[in-house]
Amino acid sequence: MHEQVALALRAARESGQHALDEPTGKKILHAVGICVPRSVVIEAGMDAHAALVGLKPPLALKVVATSVIHKSEVGGVKLNLRNGADVISAIADLTQSLQARDIKAEAWLIEEMAPQGVEVVVGGTLDPEFGPMVMVGIGGVFVEVLKDIAFRICPITERDARDMLDELKGASLLHGARGSEPVNIEAIVEVLLCVGGDGGLLMSSNDEISEIDINPLIVSRQSAVAVDARFILKETGAKA
Amino acid sequence: MTNLEQFTPLFHPRTIAVVGASATTVSGGNRFIRNLRDFGYTGHIVPIHPTAAEVEGLKAYRSLADVPGEVDYAYVAVSACVAPDVLRSGRDKVKFAQVMSSGFGETEDGAALESDLVAAAREAGTRLIGPNCLGVYSPAGRVTFTEKTLAESGTVGIVCQSGGLGIDIIRRGQSKGLRFSGLVTIGNAADLGAAELVEFMLEDPTTKVIGLYLEGTREGRRLFEVLRQANARKPIVLLKGGRTSQGQRAAASHTGALAGSQRAWEALSRQTGMPLVDTLDEFLDSLLTLQCLTPRATASSRAVLFGNGGGTSVLGTDAFDRAGFVIAAFDSHTLATLKALSLPAGASVANPIDVPAGALQQDDGRVAERIISAVAASGVAEVLVIHVNMTVILGFRHVDMLGNIINAALRVRETDLTGMHIALVLRSDGDAETEERKRNCRIRAIESGVPVYDELAQAAKGLSSLRMVEAFRARI
Repeated sequence: MHEQVALALRAARESGQHALDEPTGKKILHAVGICVPRSVVIEAGMDAHAALVGLKPPLALKVVATSVIHKSEVGGVKLNLRNGADVISAIADLTQSLQARDIKAEAWLIEEMAPQGVEVVVGGTLDPEFGPMVMVGIGGVFVEVLKDIAFRICPITERDARDMLDELKGASLLHGARGSEPVNIEAIVEVLLCVGGDGGLLMSSNDEISEIDINPLIVSRQSAVAVDARFILKETGAKA
Repeated sequence: MTNLEQFTPLFHPRTIAVVGASATTVSGGNRFIRNLRDFGYTGHIVPIHPTAAEVEGLKAYRSLADVPGEVDYAYVAVSACVAPDVLRSGRDKVKFAQVMSSGFGETEDGAALESDLVAAAREAGTRLIGPNCLGVYSPAGRVTFTEKTLAESGTVGIVCQSGGLGIDIIRRGQSKGLRFSGLVTIGNAADLGAAELVEFMLEDPTTKVIGLYLEGTREGRRLFEVLRQANARKPIVLLKGGRTSQGQRAAASHTGALAGSQRAWEALSRQTGMPLVDTLDEFLDSLLTLQCLTPRATASSRAVLFGNGGGTSVLGTDAFDRAGFVIAAFDSHTLATLKALSLPAGASVANPIDVPAGALQQDDGRVAERIISAVAASGVAEVLVIHVNMTVILGFRHVDMLGNIINAALRVRETDLTGMHIALVLRSDGDAETEERKRNCRIRAIESGVPVYDELAQAAKGLSSLRMVEAFRARI
């Protein structure tokens, strides 16, 4: 297993977590070669201004709290922030609205926003019969309503990754349907291999990761950027 | 020991012990002995009985331990709770033991007993098949577990999780023209699983095609690796039971199958070039296709349909379209050749070619051969499907039109350099006389390597399994 991945998984386990927080998840993705937005993490209560130097707006602000798995569902995300002042007032707003839900922010993740593109979902699961599996779908109604998802048993080959994309009913959206630009298919294939290929995240994690959800992976003509990442760890029964 | 050597005692046992045959009534064990004898098994049959000196006229032994020499295969049909001790009694003596009894992992409280059964097999140095299954069929070894199985051996090897469905596969399969190299029912597959048997069948020179009926697997990783390694070098067809959530519940209580994701089985099929089918008939039709036809180097995706019946041609075209085939258009030269045959009004020489029975009888049915020749020469298709409405054809009693058509197809195939697949659909009305003719024609065609189907939709399904194997191999 990649050293950084092993360390992150161990640290999470030792602190009794069953999921990784988003900054940790993204560090793992970055370590295995998947593009993530440039970002900073500031602890709650710290001054944001100095930390933001070097980040190129527009920015996204996300709450980091162990208790929160779906940040947008609890209103823990603000997008399209243009500068430091925007970020500081957004932090104030979110702190208040989250407090109303009894959620305490541990830290804030501030990221550059990915270039516009098609929202793709890449995931990993542990099948009870076949072990690690990787999936891909196109975000929004395609995944959620039409269940237009392709699965493969890991480790996948490059050919499997391409077949998965071809199998999607919405594949034409990737090739530039309805006048939009075709997206970088190679970049998606690369992400699928990093997650589900030989020596990829799922194959090298000794089944410690029970679920990976990169949603969305925003794919443009140039790149595929993992904008959000959720890692669920396998329940071991033993509490740290 | 190689895989082949390891499994020889299972398919060609020299000594078979039967545990669970009665000295006074006719139990499963007795029927097994009778079936073996009827089937012409020539090895030793050794009944095991706690008290009787003889069972079915054969000398009985008290225990497996008392049997002189080795036992290649033990047929065990006793109550579940005593099965582990039966296996222990055969320590260092029994190579394969198949436990037919149910009441193990497929029941709510049978899991511990199943673990004990596996432990007993390991202690005894015996490979366990089952529990909760019916037996092994090996025509070359003259081993069977049911009545009316053919002694003629073939090239299709089957691993079947269900015992009863195993009988269906043999009996309905042989009526359809399948000939088997062997079939093993594996039930709960507590020890010997599908992966190992597939590994054996991949190596076994008599097996050319493999069929799997599975409800689940406890060795998914191994199965995936074996199939992936095989790279469809022998075609393998999968019938997966329990692919719906309700079906999965049924499978859990049938063979103790795990609740896995059905997406995983679909992925397995795509990643290994193994056609996944939904019904027993699709399974058998796919196996028959692969028994008869050798996969081409590229995917056979263009088809020509030729037969009598306008409506059937239209429905058949729909079925082939749905199954992913192109009903290819003829080039102008081929069209001219077909038109020059001066078929009567009502015939259509575009694809699908629809020629009324009355026209087919012209010239003693030789017109069929000219049509088939023209199609082969055109090179527009990799598959020719000839379909015959037998009710109409058999009405022309003075000429053996059906025989002529089959002969024509076989003659054209001899000289066809394009290697076009030829398949036959014999559409019957179920009338006894029609069925009798159909049976005879079917055997003849299949022996000549022409698969025969009941309807065009079945042909489309069977041929699409072949196409999947071809397409997968073409991309390796």
